[in-house]
Amino acid sequence: MATTVERDRPGGDDRPGAAAASGTEPGVRARFTPSPLGWAARGVAWVALAWLVLVFPLSREGFELQRFSQAVIYGIIGLSLNVLLGYVGQISLGHQAFVGIGAFTSAYIVTEQNLSFWAGVGAGVAVGGLQALVLGGVSLRITGLYFALVTLSYGLVAEQNVFQIEELTGGGQGQPAPKPSGFESDWRYYYLCLAFLAIVLWVDWRMMRTKAGRALLALRENPRVASTFGINVKVLTLLAFVVSGAFAGLGGALLAHNDTFVSPETWSFNLALVFVIMTVVGGLRSRAGVVIGSAFFALIGYLLQKFPALQDGLNAIPGAPDLSREIAPLVIGPILLLVTLTLFPGGIGQQIRPIVGWLRGRRFDLRDRGPKEVQITDVRA
Amino acid sequence: MERLRERQGEAITAAILAGLVLVLLVTGEKQSLVIGTITGAAYGFVALGLVLIYKSSGVFNFAQGEFGTVAVYTLYLLDFDVPYGIALLGALAVAVVFGVVVERVVVRPLFDAPRVTLLVATAGVALLSIAVQVWFGEATARPVDRALPTLDRVTLLDVQISDQRILLLVALGVLAALLAVFFNKTNLGLAILGASQEPTATELMGISVKRLSTLTWAIAALLGGIAGVLAVPETGGFAPGILTSSFLIPAFTAAVIGGMTSLPGAFLGGVIIGVIEAVAASAPVFEDLPGSPGTLLVFIALIIVLTARPQGLLGKAG
Repeated sequence: MATTVERDRPGGDDRPGAAAASGTEPGVRARFTPSPLGWAARGVAWVALAWLVLVFPLSREGFELQRFSQAVIYGIIGLSLNVLLGYVGQISLGHQAFVGIGAFTSAYIVTEQNLSFWAGVGAGVAVGGLQALVLGGVSLRITGLYFALVTLSYGLVAEQNVFQIEELTGGGQGQPAPKPSGFESDWRYYYLCLAFLAIVLWVDWRMMRTKAGRALLALRENPRVASTFGINVKVLTLLAFVVSGAFAGLGGALLAHNDTFVSPETWSFNLALVFVIMTVVGGLRSRAGVVIGSAFFALIGYLLQKFPALQDGLNAIPGAPDLSREIAPLVIGPILLLVTLTLFPGGIGQQIRPIVGWLRGRRFDLRDRGPKEVQITDVRA
Repeated sequence: MERLRERQGEAITAAILAGLVLVLLVTGEKQSLVIGTITGAAYGFVALGLVLIYKSSGVFNFAQGEFGTVAVYTLYLLDFDVPYGIALLGALAVAVVFGVVVERVVVRPLFDAPRVTLLVATAGVALLSIAVQVWFGEATARPVDRALPTLDRVTLLDVQISDQRILLLVALGVLAALLAVFFNKTNLGLAILGASQEPTATELMGISVKRLSTLTWAIAALLGGIAGVLAVPETGGFAPGILTSSFLIPAFTAAVIGGMTSLPGAFLGGVIIGVIEAVAASAPVFEDLPGSPGTLLVFIALIIVLTARPQGLLGKAG
């Protein structure tokens, strides 16, 4: 990947955590250079963003800080689903099973086998990749709507069969998953999650910049045309599934050790829908959007608690009982989803494009809407 | 030979059904046959609505279960104040209104969107509906009145069948037959099929595709509502999202087994799924499996049908 070709970038290459230096890249886009004042403003914005992600959560502790770690982990899960939905064009309605099996695998390895956290995470990633490989094999034959049904049914099997295996899940009371040594405190674990999110973002970014990634996008647009150009449809689809499954397994393992505990009841179909919703609302194929959307859904309950005005506003709906923090994401989420699908199909990722462009040293352009076509997938069923 | 190939689906279906009955009778699982058929009828009812929507617009409607749940919830609430018959009518009316609203607010703006987008949207509708039910009520099961209270009039193979179950079975059979006639013989039915295959051409023939879409969703919601008010009182009563959580996946599997576009297929698929679940629950072979073996067997059945015969038992290939 030399710098010889400057090509259109698919979706968003916008990384929220990218260094401030990204605006100084040499290249064709250097036509507009911000004034020194403009640079200063951008610098301030970057510092504020870095403060929000790196410093602000440290002022919280215990349960609250764990919610921030959860937001970061949801970012990983959102990116995992984005690989399937955004890049391959297959919808998974059983993603809670991928994540949950990763969580239980890691907890099992650490608690029952007395191995280290790193072995647990490694096993979670491996099992996640493996189950995705198997389901990916199925998806080569079964596409589109039918595949959605298979994943849905798979999620139910995980919930009602796999998570009922007492040895794996520790029965009704759940499986303990202690925090790794060296990361026992909540803030260290938060940074560990951030580091993993950075790795996932990097892998995702590299994957989409290589030939395989571009082939994958071509595949989603039109599999027949893509295979005429010599793209190996099967290998690439399976590769994407494995990557997605590995991300999901990683997210599950991190989630387990964040709560220090995994319970079989967590992994219901509602959670799968929340995962799909946060990814779609975030904006498919936009890394920044997906991470923001996922973090938002992880933090809805926390935000309602911290800003009583929001809670009061919701409670003021006439004739309705108070909206508790547990139910709020389930009510707000689908509404946001329907609004996104019908009015703003590009999701958050599309809406923040002008801001991201400005942060990267471009002009603030409200008309910047990115690539026109943004849709979930073609009908192949 | 040609005719045999055309009738392949029916032949396979007959063979599977005969095999199933034979195995059950030989292994002494006779009761599973009856229990399975009557639970399967409820799945078939939900599947009927799924097939109707899929046949007319190519959408996998994940909100189908919620049409029923909303009806049951309304029935439960109204039943305190007004006679059962009026409450029932009110419940079905609410279901139809819900269906029309979903069509107007969600389906119509996404008319040209990929079908998978619509799938996600209907799943969103289902989640919203469940969340609102949890929000306004507690997440506990409440008993709902039956239309017919007698429980032990009919006994078949040592299984007592309530009148409500028989009503469900009869209603399902009659409605499936009526819908089949509707799609094959009436102008309106043909227009709906035409609109799903060639929307532009249908529009050019002077038929309003959008109005047909509203009509289809209203009928589907009515079917869902009937399924709900008939089936839920038999299963322990109303709980938020009851039809989505315990009927939707078996119903989808039933519809796929039947062939997604076949109305009698939905019925048949429902019965097959019901019998599989009943056997899984009672046969000693599956005792050692963790959790509920029925879910696992239904999943396996789904995979087998989709890989071996993607068009389903009675569906048309291609």
